[in-house]
Amino acid sequence: MNEIGSTEQAVRKEEARRAGAPGTVLSPAEKRHGFIGGVFSGLLSLVQGMAVTLGYFLRPSTVVTRQYPENRATLKMYERFRSLLTMPHDQDGCHNCTACGICQTACPNASIKVVSGKDAAGKKILKNYIWRMDACTFCNACVQACPFSAITMTGGFESAVYDRRLLSYSLNRYAGPSASALKKIADPAERRKMMEPCLAYSGQVLPGETPPIAGGE
Amino acid sequence: MTNAIGTTLWQVKTLADRTTGAMPDSPWLAIGYILLGVVAVGALVAGLGLVLIYAERKIAAHFQCRLGPMRVGWHGIFQTVADTLKLLLKEDVIPERADKLLHLMAPFLSLLATVMVLVVIPYSPVLQIADVNIGVLYVSAVGGFGILGILVAGWSSNNKWSMLGAMRAGAQIISYEISVTIALLTVVLFAGTLQLSQIVLSQAEGWWIWRAHGIGLVAFLIFLIASVAEINRTPFDIAEGESELTGGFHTEYSGMRFAFFFLSEFVNMFVAAAVTATLFLGGWMPFHIGSFQAFNSIMDLIPPAIWFAGKTGFLIFVIMWFRWTFPRMRVDQLMKLEWKILLPIGLVNLAAASIAVLFNLYFFPRH
Amino acid sequence: MTIRPITLADRIAAGQKVESLLSTQEYFVNMGPQHPSTHGVLRLLVRLDGETVREVIPVVGYVHRGIEKMGEYLTYRKFIHLSDRLDYLSAITNNWVVAMAVEKAAGIEINDRIQTIRTLCAELQRIQSHQLWWGVFGMDLGAFTAFLYGFRDREVVTDIFEETTGARLTMNYIQPGGVMFDIHPDFVKNVKKFLAYFKPKLEEYETLVSGNVIVQARLRGVGILSPGAAVSIGTTGPVLRASGVAHDLRKSEAYGVYGKVQFDIPVGVKGDCWDRYWVRIEEMRQSIRIIEQLIDSIPEGKHMTIKPTAKIKLPEGLYYNQMETARGILGALIVSDGGEKPYRIHLRSPNFNNLWSVTAMAPGLRIADLVAILSSIDVVVPDIDR
Repeated sequence: MNEIGSTEQAVRKEEARRAGAPGTVLSPAEKRHGFIGGVFSGLLSLVQGMAVTLGYFLRPSTVVTRQYPENRATLKMYERFRSLLTMPHDQDGCHNCTACGICQTACPNASIKVVSGKDAAGKKILKNYIWRMDACTFCNACVQACPFSAITMTGGFESAVYDRRLLSYSLNRYAGPSASALKKIADPAERRKMMEPCLAYSGQVLPGETPPIAGGE
Repeated sequence: MTNAIGTTLWQVKTLADRTTGAMPDSPWLAIGYILLGVVAVGALVAGLGLVLIYAERKIAAHFQCRLGPMRVGWHGIFQTVADTLKLLLKEDVIPERADKLLHLMAPFLSLLATVMVLVVIPYSPVLQIADVNIGVLYVSAVGGFGILGILVAGWSSNNKWSMLGAMRAGAQIISYEISVTIALLTVVLFAGTLQLSQIVLSQAEGWWIWRAHGIGLVAFLIFLIASVAEINRTPFDIAEGESELTGGFHTEYSGMRFAFFFLSEFVNMFVAAAVTATLFLGGWMPFHIGSFQAFNSIMDLIPPAIWFAGKTGFLIFVIMWFRWTFPRMRVDQLMKLEWKILLPIGLVNLAAASIAVLFNLYFFPRH
Repeated sequence: MTIRPITLADRIAAGQKVESLLSTQEYFVNMGPQHPSTHGVLRLLVRLDGETVREVIPVVGYVHRGIEKMGEYLTYRKFIHLSDRLDYLSAITNNWVVAMAVEKAAGIEINDRIQTIRTLCAELQRIQSHQLWWGVFGMDLGAFTAFLYGFRDREVVTDIFEETTGARLTMNYIQPGGVMFDIHPDFVKNVKKFLAYFKPKLEEYETLVSGNVIVQARLRGVGILSPGAAVSIGTTGPVLRASGVAHDLRKSEAYGVYGKVQFDIPVGVKGDCWDRYWVRIEEMRQSIRIIEQLIDSIPEGKHMTIKPTAKIKLPEGLYYNQMETARGILGALIVSDGGEKPYRIHLRSPNFNNLWSVTAMAPGLRIADLVAILSSIDVVVPDIDR
């Protein structure tokens, strides 16, 4: 299908017809050189290219590499960077999750499992909030869907582990009602009785700690 | 010792001279000299590998706005050592239906040609292993040996990609040898001798690159371009064109024998730069301008070995600069460059050189 | 059909013109699935005669992930994050195609602010995609430095996206009903900084690669695709425009705010690799022009017109929406049975047709030309395989 000759003619005719067609810009034609002219212009183009690369070589300030992990102290991720789902706990240690399960419904690939239970009054409370990091696509649908802003995506990216089971995270630090429900109880001691501490795990196991039970199953 | 116009002349004494000198009196000393030569060449090859591979990676990195090796040693100076250890420990794979003997032999053929040329290069008046009186002819002939390694590697791998790479390399190297030789001949005409040390001495009044009214410059450019093509470096690396043929002729090599190909490429680069420096930039001869004795004496203060290292280093940098700037040429364009551009220009240049020699038309003419 | 090398005797028997009486044997060579320059997991079966290519047979399917099938089990909002992963270099535009299809079908109204933000993001994504293409193009030709320069400049755009959307490659940003986040307060400032940074760099690209005599020799006259062949194969995007057909959905079916901005469509004259290269470089310039016109006048308004948990139900029927991504026309066909999940969702992939133009262009050329052609078509294989 190499219709070179006929295409050239057809294309030149088309070019003449389209020259000045509004809204388009045509590719420029090739410059023709003789033998000596071709050698010199070729050499010139090569030298110009070499000048560009030499410019970068002679300016070490143009180096864009960042030496990680030496730069950890000054490394800041963008605030919206989506890489680690967390459940923020306020200064009293309360989270906002009411175990409504909307995030679980919004997640496209079942990376979230909300294990709920019932408190003394029969209301729904959160027992265990399990997030499968190995399945999550970080699409942010859960965060968008949550009506209580109980979960958020942070920029923690250092989550590499050697065992796949350690990628199932448990995000809540206690099993119990949400912060807004707890605020209604005036007595702090009463409040603490409602918050049953549970093992939260959301990251690598540090040396000296015992690894948690792989959650989710 | 000075010559008629007051320029210092050096006494050239090679290792071969010392050996022949010692032979009648004490053959053991002669054998000692030979062994010293062997060890020196081995050390030079190893040292060049270590330094040049690291330099290539760092220079490439800085051309590309990045840093290169930084972890192994201060700023990565031991990176090549780490790589060599890794390659030594790798499994040596020979493809199933490959020609075993040829497959084993090919890397050594490549290295052999390079090492044989290393032996005759004048590094300094007293640092030369052998000074053959047909030096230039020897370099040209033995340098052409390297193609055997590539062809054998490509054939014996039993892999179509390797064959393609090897065939391309064969055509390329044979063609560019012609341009190399013609540019070489220009210098031989000027210097009047084939012996490498004499060629260096003939540049005592000025290097041939600038001494011959542009004929030397054109010959230098042709020689440099053709040498880069001889050693299979971008823009002429179709033989191993990574983005096309995966690995070209060395696809099926792993471990230490791949390292030998890799090493021979870098030592080849050094040899090409060294020969170019010897022929056109004066080798170990300092930068002299005719008979300006004061200037020449200042230039002589820097030892000749440093001059040689500096010139060769600069040319190696230029060759690396080519690699990291230009795309590669297609095989037929490569052939066209040689046969239709470099060869005619080279022949015209040779004719002009003969006229210049006949009428003593260059700066600081010889007497 | 058995595939076997065609010998000289076969060709003479078939009455074909034979270039030489040298009886050479044709052979098959596999480019890929693992190959440094096939832009994804693609296998090309190439029938060679020496260095000359006689036939190219692409074999695709290595990256099939069942995206369209998965779509049948996901609601429309949940499907958007899968559309990111088709042609991941134009992820935001892919999101827009599906989101706009859903909006048109369900009758969701969106305001001007959303349209402007979407157009800006699409044009930034186009520049980013072409920057990567340029880098990889240089690398395929052998100029490795171009790769790093392209990526270094691409990082600036990626950082802009990371700041606003939170992700660098699969943004999942354009949702039915709006965009996921409002643009970051620093968005306008950073985009302007990027434009000021990139315009001189584009000139540098011209000096380093376009003006280089070796590049010109390798690209001019190589891989000519006639306009008729381009249209009949179904190529779109820069490949089609380089062959001389001035078809760009941004002009003919102006969506977003493309109808309100001034820009030109680069059109090639010969249809060779050089024209495909030039069209993309010029498209980068035109994208810069569009962004400059829009960046200072983003209208006020909400960034999302429906709630994130609102149920989206499409009435029964067939809906199609198409859009010009960096590589060509991406189309989304949704067959709805009235529910929350599509009965069938099909995506018209631009790369599928573009890849098949290789079979028309390559015969008669050399292997090195084949690599240059593949690179100039700018294939992203996961888009073909979905």
